[in-house]
Amino acid sequence: MKRGQRFITYAVILLIIFPVFVSGCWDSHELNKISIVSGLGWDIDTNTGEITLTFQSIIPSEIKSSSSSGGGGEQKGGNPLHAIRLDSSTGSSPYDALNRYTQHGSRRTFYQHAQVYVFGKGGAQQGIYPLLDSIARNPINRPNVLMVVAEKKAGDILGIQDGIENIQAIGMAAEIKLSADFSKYPAVTYLEFANRLMSETTAPIAPMIGTFEDIGPEGEKVKKTRITGTAVFKGDRMIGQLNERESRGLLWAINKIKNGFVIIPGANLEIIQAKSKIVPELQDDQIKITIEINEESNLVEYDDHQEMTTDLLQELENIQAQEIESQVRAAVEKSRALNADVFGFGDAVHRKYKKEWQGLKPRWDEIYPRIEVVVKVKTHVNEIGDINKTLMRD
Amino acid sequence: MFRLFTRKTHRARTSSNKNQTQAKQDRSPVCLSKKLEGNIQILRESLGQSSDVIIRDMKINSNSNVDAAVVYIDGLVDRDLLNRDILQPLMFNLQLIRDNVSQNRSNLIDFIKSSVLTVGQITETEDIDRVISEVLSGHIAILAEGVTRALLIDAKGWKERSIEEPKNEVSIRGPKDSLTETLRTNTALLRRKIRDPRLTFESLQIGERSKTDVAVAYIKGITPDNLIEEINQRLKRIDTDAILDVGYIEQFIEDSPASLFPTVGISERPDVVAARILEGRAAILVDGSPMALMVPFLFIEGFQNPDDYYARPFFAALVRWVRLLGFLLSVYLPGIFVSLKVFHPELFPTPLLVSVAASREGLPFPVVLEALLMLLLFEILREAGLRMPRSLGQAVSIVGALVIGQAAVSAGLVGAPMVIVIATTAVASFLVVPYADLGALLRLIMTVAAGFLGLMGIVFISIEILSHLASLRSLGVPYLSPVSPLNIRGLKDTFVRAPLWAMDSRPVCLDPVDTRRQAPGQMPQNSKNRPNQGESQ
Repeated sequence: MKRGQRFITYAVILLIIFPVFVSGCWDSHELNKISIVSGLGWDIDTNTGEITLTFQSIIPSEIKSSSSSGGGGEQKGGNPLHAIRLDSSTGSSPYDALNRYTQHGSRRTFYQHAQVYVFGKGGAQQGIYPLLDSIARNPINRPNVLMVVAEKKAGDILGIQDGIENIQAIGMAAEIKLSADFSKYPAVTYLEFANRLMSETTAPIAPMIGTFEDIGPEGEKVKKTRITGTAVFKGDRMIGQLNERESRGLLWAINKIKNGFVIIPGANLEIIQAKSKIVPELQDDQIKITIEINEESNLVEYDDHQEMTTDLLQELENIQAQEIESQVRAAVEKSRALNADVFGFGDAVHRKYKKEWQGLKPRWDEIYPRIEVVVKVKTHVNEIGDINKTLMRD
Repeated sequence: MFRLFTRKTHRARTSSNKNQTQAKQDRSPVCLSKKLEGNIQILRESLGQSSDVIIRDMKINSNSNVDAAVVYIDGLVDRDLLNRDILQPLMFNLQLIRDNVSQNRSNLIDFIKSSVLTVGQITETEDIDRVISEVLSGHIAILAEGVTRALLIDAKGWKERSIEEPKNEVSIRGPKDSLTETLRTNTALLRRKIRDPRLTFESLQIGERSKTDVAVAYIKGITPDNLIEEINQRLKRIDTDAILDVGYIEQFIEDSPASLFPTVGISERPDVVAARILEGRAAILVDGSPMALMVPFLFIEGFQNPDDYYARPFFAALVRWVRLLGFLLSVYLPGIFVSLKVFHPELFPTPLLVSVAASREGLPFPVVLEALLMLLLFEILREAGLRMPRSLGQAVSIVGALVIGQAAVSAGLVGAPMVIVIATTAVASFLVVPYADLGALLRLIMTVAAGFLGLMGIVFISIEILSHLASLRSLGVPYLSPVSPLNIRGLKDTFVRAPLWAMDSRPVCLDPVDTRRQAPGQMPQNSKNRPNQGESQ
């Protein structure tokens, strides 16, 4: 091989090897140099429009000490917040607030493991578009973070330690998921929220969390969090909220019922399976929506001292169907009053009547309250439990 | 790059070879003379004054008391045989010799060979160099006055290690013998397993000074001829002064000396060697080494174990997968752990991240350094445990376990998860013993790559290694076969081990002359009737 050729060979090898090292480790962050953010709170000052970011970060060393030795917790003087740390910073925009945080934070914030985004109610009513935009633009934010609206300020909710989890945001996310599992309130991820926002007619929703006072183990007053309703947005502004019964009705209609109970006078039925479908019909500019619900349940509680018969079961099924229908009706009425399409009727019409939709879309706000809604519920009771006779006669 | 070096050295070697062959040709073979005195003089000069060289003068009691000498190396020959079957007949069977031997001296040698010596293997030679070399390898030479021929009697009988249980390749159900340092014993072990007359041992001597006996074992009619040719060529090319172990041969004949991956198989179990030979490979046995080389060697062989074949196939399949997993773990685990911790903490599930982060608090070193430190510590312990006098081994393991397991964590030098990762890696690396040292090198590379580029670095290196593996060959057979190039029938003995009755042909990728291993369709049938039932009724 000639000298020149050999030189080229070596040069190529070096050229291949060098970039690997030149690139260095720009993306590397040691775990003890980052602060893992478990929850983010966003508040907008209704007067000045300034944005306050509240970070709930995990303090790993506290978790270590609390799990390895019992003495660690005692030193904190009973402070339940020992595993998390709250920081807040205020700025004119989300990123401005973020930048200001670096003035008093010691570690780079790490958002990939955030569990919840909490929005203060005041800010939510003003519009949260800048926040949503900054979240969506940055790839470090995950689309499966749960959206929460705080009844008052987001900063007040984050940091209230209750439940079993020692990281509050994880506990809050679990609380929301549990209520969604029992079909009380919806659990809405950032992705679902953004999807509803982008459909233009469908109204975004998010569970609301409030605080209440409870009596602690030593008789002292303890603040705890609980889900209090479903916030309804129109665009990026929160315009109202659904109560417990209306939230359940919403879940029936949008096929989000998983488990839970249907309570009717004198009996209680556990939902085994439920499916629903929204079927739109367009006739001469008049929209008719049929909500078809199929439900199967087990009888878990029956207070009448009667032997269970087929007729009785039939009656139970009917009463149950009426109850479900009335829940859905309640939700429909509320959404009409708010004029917010929480069910996605607009999307259903769009899917079925593509041509007509272009004409309907601009007038949707006028059309929506006048839509005829029919609720068809089919229920079936599968099991009546281990007893078919009553334990005690009257 | 490496080709440049090899080409240069090759040129140098061929030129030196030429010189040597010329030198050899210049020295014409020295023949024995009729004078015994002169012959012994030459022998003494060649063999030197070593105390183990015995030249025993004697008189063979024929009519004229012929002067003779017995030459041997003390310790290499069987003394019993020497005294009983050589010296005694020569010195005491006076009448017999006297009666039969006339004045013709060459007659004397013939008669001794045919009627006096009661030993097995005797050869004659006139070349004094051959006498010297045979004596050095354990023959007894008999020279007589007035005869230009010497008798060479094979009387090898030195102290040798008995056949013991294999120490490195343990099997639960398989045979419990292992190769020893003596070539003859090893060939006998193989011969006992394969009684086919076509099993051939081709012998040659390698080593300018050690003159080590090397045997190439194969079965004519199974092993392809060109393979044997190639092996012989490579062996003959070796020009070194000593072959002290089979590893010397391995390094002289392997296909890719610059590769981390071994392209020559090695085993201490005669059953493994026999099985490989029966598949169409050739084995290379070296005198003085209790290991055998087997070529061609495929990557998948490292994951095969004799117990896979001796036990039923179901568990064998599971164990194959466990070994594969173990190898992958031993190569990748520290690297992946480092890259997850440093570059991709988002890939941890949140609760795991929290506990990993908790263990990371307050540690002084970066994760990469921590990992490399622990890997180094493990290698130190391993090497120390290996080389320590056995009586000290326990001390090392106790101190090591304490230092690695406990003190390092409680002193706040390394995190507990890192200890778990390194420990798992260490244990997993011994699942596949042939690749244990290879794994140690690869995981160092992986860890460094992970420290620089995270998972991307690991992917880069993996692609590099995979393409390298695909380019490797062992004696012309692609290293990754039968997986790549894909051979569906060959897959019967890779990720799972097919039942023995289903493996009808030898591995086709080895290109055996006779591919048929057994008759097809031997799957045992479950017969409903008891045998002989029809006859009895």
